Amino acid sequence: MSYLGSITTVLPLVFFLIFKRNDKEKTLRVIFYYIVYVIVNELVSFILHLYDINILNFLFFVFNITEFTLFSIFFYYALPTRRIVRSIVPALPFLYIIAAAYSFFIVTKRNEFDSFSMGLEAIIILILCIYYLVVSIGKSYNLSIYSTTNFWIIISFLIYLAGTFFLYIMAENMQMDKHFRVLYIIINAVFNILKNVLLSIAMLMKPSSSEERIRPGHVDLDNLFPFNEKNN
Amino acid sequence: MFFLQAGGNTFGYSNVLIFGTLGMFVMAITLVSVVVFHQRRVIRFNRQLQKLEEEKQQMLLKASINFQEEERQRIAADLHDDAGPLLATARLYLNENLIHQDAAVQLQSIFSAKQIIDDSIQLIRNISHSLMPPTLKNFGLESAIKDVFEKINGSGIINASARFHDNRERLKEEQELLIFRIIQELVANIIKHSGAGFIHLTQNVQGNFYYFRIHHDGKGLLQKDFERLNYESGGLGLKNIASRIKVLKGNIFFDIDNTHTYYKVTIEIPKDVSKLN
Repeated sequence: MSYLGSITTVLPLVFFLIFKRNDKEKTLRVIFYYIVYVIVNELVSFILHLYDINILNFLFFVFNITEFTLFSIFFYYALPTRRIVRSIVPALPFLYIIAAAYSFFIVTKRNEFDSFSMGLEAIIILILCIYYLVVSIGKSYNLSIYSTTNFWIIISFLIYLAGTFFLYIMAENMQMDKHFRVLYIIINAVFNILKNVLLSIAMLMKPSSSEERIRPGHVDLDNLFPFNEKNN
Repeated sequence: MFFLQAGGNTFGYSNVLIFGTLGMFVMAITLVSVVVFHQRRVIRFNRQLQKLEEEKQQMLLKASINFQEEERQRIAADLHDDAGPLLATARLYLNENLIHQDAAVQLQSIFSAKQIIDDSIQLIRNISHSLMPPTLKNFGLESAIKDVFEKINGSGIINASARFHDNRERLKEEQELLIFRIIQELVANIIKHSGAGFIHLTQNVQGNFYYFRIHHDGKGLLQKDFERLNYESGGLGLKNIASRIKVLKGNIFFDIDNTHTYYKVTIEIPKDVSKLN
């Protein structure tokens, strides 16, 4: 089951290479790097496991930071270009790195699964996903929201992080429990597969354009035509 | 955390994990469904609006065609009813029997025929002028509009004036003709329907747009009236205004001033239509 979850990671990459290889959309490029990174991470984990090198917690820590940074970059390009978004989103990875590093090196002392940083990542990304969806409601596109790439990418984040949220925040205390480990493998694999399927669907969709046409001619006409009957 | 503590054993933790995961998953799915359904409703509403807009365009197109037909019929009627009989009368004076008449009668007939031909020339000139005012062609929009306003003012019924603030560069001939027709139609409507005591036209330029504003103190239209009349079957004049504005890729705004003493009609025309395409 766990391997199946890992193998499906290749699916969005294959779809990207087939359908979106020449697509210049920045959000899509970020997701491409993310998928490549996940695959590399899986391979490294597998190799480390083969050689019995136990630095999985550190690998998780690095993975969390990279994943969060890539997600933040994705949201930076996907969210509407408002000043508040432009200033908050780029600062998030830096704040997250500080918080995650503090938790990993000082609180858990590198020995345990770091639920804090996983939970924090999930909460921030879920908030950004919800913000994206709320903003999408306010926009009256003629194009259906579900026919755009960004929507499916966001949905994959949303479902994956919502589904694994409880799993990760409980993992720190429960990783030694056998029954929990089974559940961990099942839930993680299910939501990994779901994420990969949704990302693959995203690769089949149209590019998302957030540009809106601005109507010309917003002029203060009363200022332009100061009218006084007596003067005319 | 309360649930975790309350559970107290592995089974309790498992339940929290399973139900928590399911709950989060259901919430995520619900959120996505709400967004998608809401957006679909918005799209449906937009499509309805688009359909209405298309219907409006059809009406404008029909109005434009009808207007052209009416214009052709008017010209045909003018030529048939006025120019035709005049030329036929002139022909009667100049018939073959004229050479058998004495010199005085011949002279009288030629004089009468000449008179009728002069009238015909004047008539045809009037028809031609109504199609394309010579002042507009030769001297531009400012002169043509001022000419119209002076004529209205000269009638003594209404006080009319026009002022151009920035008319350094002339618009294209077809643009000028369309603007002239719009203003002519607006002024005709004001005189006919509003009972205004004065009409004042102002022209100005701001950025890439020309602005024309007509003020009058009669009973005018507001934007919503204009939109409504545009959708109704009547009001050919207003539909012509709307279709001409559309050709110019401009906008028209009907408004009333804050003191409710006079109405304002503002026309916004891009300097170069091709740049906006």
